[in-house]
Amino acid sequence: MPARRHVREKRGESTGIDLAPMLDFVMNLLIFFIITAVFAKELGIDVSRPSAGIGAATKEAGSLLITVRANGDILIDERLVDIRAVRANVERMHALKPENGVMIAAEGSAGTGLLVQVVDQVRQGGVRNVSFGTAR
Amino acid sequence: MQQRRQEEEIGIDLAPMLDFVLNLLIFFIITTSFVKEAGISVDRPEALTAEFHESGNILIAIRSNGDIWMDRRQVELREVRPIVERLHIERPDDTVVVIGDKAAPAALLAQVMDEVKLGGIDEVSVGAAHAGG
Repeated sequence: MPARRHVREKRGESTGIDLAPMLDFVMNLLIFFIITAVFAKELGIDVSRPSAGIGAATKEAGSLLITVRANGDILIDERLVDIRAVRANVERMHALKPENGVMIAAEGSAGTGLLVQVVDQVRQGGVRNVSFGTAR
Repeated sequence: MQQRRQEEEIGIDLAPMLDFVLNLLIFFIITTSFVKEAGISVDRPEALTAEFHESGNILIAIRSNGDIWMDRRQVELREVRPIVERLHIERPDDTVVVIGDKAAPAALLAQVMDEVKLGGIDEVSVGAAHAGG
C-alpha cells in the first residue's frame, strides 16, 4: 500500500505544469506595457485649420484678425502691436463678443515658434477657437 | 507522512495571482497606444496652454531647414498624405501632432496640416512644450 501511494504521488507531481517561468514572462510583458503606456502622451495645442485648405485666409465676420509677418511684426486689425499686447487685445475682444473666434494669418516664411507664441497668448486671453491660415 | 503533508501546504497556489496578472496585462495591451515616432527631435516652441493629447500618436516633425520626418524616416511633403491614409486605415482612432521647429516656416506647417487633413485625419494639433520646462 505505501508503495502504490508513492507512485501515484510522483505521477501527480510530474503532470503538474511549473507556472514559474510563464509567470516571469507575463510579468516582463506587464512591466513593458506599463512603461510604454506612461510615455504615450503628447503635448500640443489645438489650432484649427480652415478646411477649405490651400488658399488665402479669409476673415470671418466679426472675428479678430491677427497678422504675423515674416520679420516678427504682429498686427491686430492693421495695427502694429507687441507680442505682450496680444493677450490684452484678445481679452478685450472676448469680453465684448464672447462667441467670436480669432483668426491668425501668418506670412509663409514666419517662424513656427512665433506663431505658436501668438496662439498661446490668444488661448491665455480666453479664446480657444483659434484658426490659422498662411498668406504667400 | 506528517512531514510530507506539511510540505504540500507550504507551497503557494499561484493560479489566482496568475489570473490577476493576466487581467492586468490584457488591460495594458488594450489601453496602450503605439506611438509612431517622428524619429528626430526638434526645438519645440513653448506654450503655457499646451495640453496632453493621450491619443496623439502619429508624430510629424518639421526641422528648421524644412525637412519633414515621420515614422522614423525623412519624407517629402507629397509622401505625407499616402502615409497618413495608410496609418488611418490601420488605426482609425489615431490623431496627429505636427511638431514644428521654432524656426520652421509657418507655410510648411500649414501645408503639412493640410496634407494630413486630406489624408483623412481631421484632428491635428501643433506640438509644443511647456514654457520653462
